[in-house]
Amino acid sequence: MTQDIRVTVDTAALRHNAETLRAAVAPAAVMAVVKANAYGHGAVESARAFAAAGVDWLGVADLDEAVELREAGVTTPLLAWLHAPGETFERAAAHDVTPAVSDLVQLEAAAAAGVRAVHLCVDTGLSRNGAVAGEWPEFFARAAELSGRVPVEGIMTHLSNASPEEDGAQVAAFLSAVEMLGRLGVEPRLRHVAASAAALHFTDVGGSPGDMVRFGLAMYGLSPFADRTGAQLGLRPALTLRAPVTTVKRVPAGEGVSYGYVFRPERDTTIAVVPVGYSDGVDRAASDRASVTIGQRTYRVRGRIAMNALVIDVGDDPVEVGDDVVLFGDPALGHQGAADWARAFGGITYEVVASLAARLPRSWT
Amino acid sequence: MTGYLRRATVDLAAYRANLRSLIERVAPVEVLAIVKADAYSLGVDVIVPEALAAGIRWFGTVEPEPAFRLRREGVGDEASYFAWQLGPDEDYAAAVELRVDLGVSTLEQLEAFADAARAAGPGHEALVHLTIDTGLHREGCLPADWAAFVTRAVELRDEGVVRLRGCFSHVSETSEADDHAASLVFRRALDDAEALGATFEKRHMSSSSAALEHPERRFDMVRMGSNGYGNPVTEGVTAADRGLRPVLTLSGCVVRVKRIAAGTGVSYDYTWRAERDTTLALVPLGYADGVSRRAQHGAEVTIDGRRHPIVGRVAMDQFLVDVGDHDVAVGDEVLLFGPGDRGELTIGEWADVTGSVPEEVSCRIGARVERVYTGGRA
Repeated sequence: MTQDIRVTVDTAALRHNAETLRAAVAPAAVMAVVKANAYGHGAVESARAFAAAGVDWLGVADLDEAVELREAGVTTPLLAWLHAPGETFERAAAHDVTPAVSDLVQLEAAAAAGVRAVHLCVDTGLSRNGAVAGEWPEFFARAAELSGRVPVEGIMTHLSNASPEEDGAQVAAFLSAVEMLGRLGVEPRLRHVAASAAALHFTDVGGSPGDMVRFGLAMYGLSPFADRTGAQLGLRPALTLRAPVTTVKRVPAGEGVSYGYVFRPERDTTIAVVPVGYSDGVDRAASDRASVTIGQRTYRVRGRIAMNALVIDVGDDPVEVGDDVVLFGDPALGHQGAADWARAFGGITYEVVASLAARLPRSWT
Repeated sequence: MTGYLRRATVDLAAYRANLRSLIERVAPVEVLAIVKADAYSLGVDVIVPEALAAGIRWFGTVEPEPAFRLRREGVGDEASYFAWQLGPDEDYAAAVELRVDLGVSTLEQLEAFADAARAAGPGHEALVHLTIDTGLHREGCLPADWAAFVTRAVELRDEGVVRLRGCFSHVSETSEADDHAASLVFRRALDDAEALGATFEKRHMSSSSAALEHPERRFDMVRMGSNGYGNPVTEGVTAADRGLRPVLTLSGCVVRVKRIAAGTGVSYDYTWRAERDTTLALVPLGYADGVSRRAQHGAEVTIDGRRHPIVGRVAMDQFLVDVGDHDVAVGDEVLLFGPGDRGELTIGEWADVTGSVPEEVSCRIGARVERVYTGGRA
């Protein structure tokens, strides 16, 4: 619908990132996490690019996301871990999707549905998904009983990234869960703990990165760290958000611009309107703080970001209607990065990309 | 124990009632319903037929593309569609062929639109609204250029390729004084245009709040976005004050409940630790679904009529709620915001605690959230 906004995704960058991360953690297997529309990059196309680069697994939050990929013809092994109450897992069985189960109810339902295998999700401190330690004996015993029918292919947990000590305590708890399961005769082939931050920062999970690493943000060339860029990790940002200038206007000193007139230029200046607003997923809190680029020049967003437009101050530069504005992209090309936008509104890189509206036209090059 | 993950429930009966009430209040002035941004993410394909049933005959879509699509699908054949944010390579031929009204701001746009009508041949015309910049400094012709702009529009009208459907402006809603000043600029522009021989079918400058509060600024038409959806944007004014009902409810179901000990840190970075033994409920909505990470600081959700705080970081797909010692079970419905009559926050209150505005909260509800329509289809 917003035909002038373009999200371009460089699939060569996605493949490069996948190959780089595979090499970094080899011989561990790699899962590319493509939940939330592949962090805004387009689920199906991103999944295909990662599969082409040889990732072993794809990960999504829920079965709706998994079914979308299967219906688009993606055949890579697929794990989903966030399930609605009362989920029957019949769709998982029908579409060859592997559920990660967090409790007995999910385990029983998955077994009854005849899924190909399950991964057991354990909570080692994050307090979100996963069985807590007190539930392990009963949960694991039942999984062992059912394992003839439904293999326990994996066991997983998710770290809080609170500190190396906290993460280390979580890993120790995870290893105790693996051991408890082993005493019941169940030895999952895929023991996976680490996501992007942990795998790159704290690669030593019980002496190895585990049997598999789940990469989300890093797959898209973005850094999970505040103090290191994607490029410093050997990665290439794949996504660029751009739109053409639709209006250029000379504004006298002192006149207000956009809703609330929060910006009043101190001297005569030229403003340009860019047809991107918060309904496209750009956080309104970036008003008056974020920057964009036209060519190699950087300009500040001025005034309130509106639903479908924002205004930039281009000073006395000869900007014209139709000029290509890059909101964020690859810093190596002189663009603002997603991390710069995150800083502008006090958010995180993840939400800059994952918040991009699904209805924006995307093209994959 | 059954349930769903995430739902945006749209009360269509409330939407129709809001529009009927707004139409009645400003009659005989026309009401244009704003359905931009996929009708604030509620689903333009559903919303437009409902508005038609409520008596709306004008729609605003920002960009022309959604209007083209609705026209091609034959939705609202009897209605007018109005778009004003035009691209550098706008498809003016489509606007002529599909009878979409465009707000034009520059001579270039006006000429291109007229050229398309001329090329389409006899019986075709460009449905033009001349846009005047009364201070917002986004789209719109500056007052200094207005006379030349109107003069050319009148020539093109006399040639038979342009129909002067409207004259319009956006106001900044900065302060009463600023908006009053903008209204004076608008009146002046209308007077000047009339002196140059232009007459307009619809003169319109006021949107939701100003349209209700300032009858003298309604002219021939007012544009209703937020009020139609039951979310007045004026500070300190509730939907009830306006006789409106919020149409949108955002909810999820509890997918996991767990007891934690005092001192336990939760979610990323352990930014929150339990002061005493308590129970957490996991709710499957995150920032990818439009729940701001800022909701960690003060937002409360409602389960079975009782408010509970969001604790710890809001993640991409989920957040945690501290339900204390209350009896909460997997499958329980969690209301993030709604009309407010089941104890839940309103969208305005949700926007306040997340440093946002109701329109942004509505627009940013993600595609993963299932849209469910209640209140009967018109």
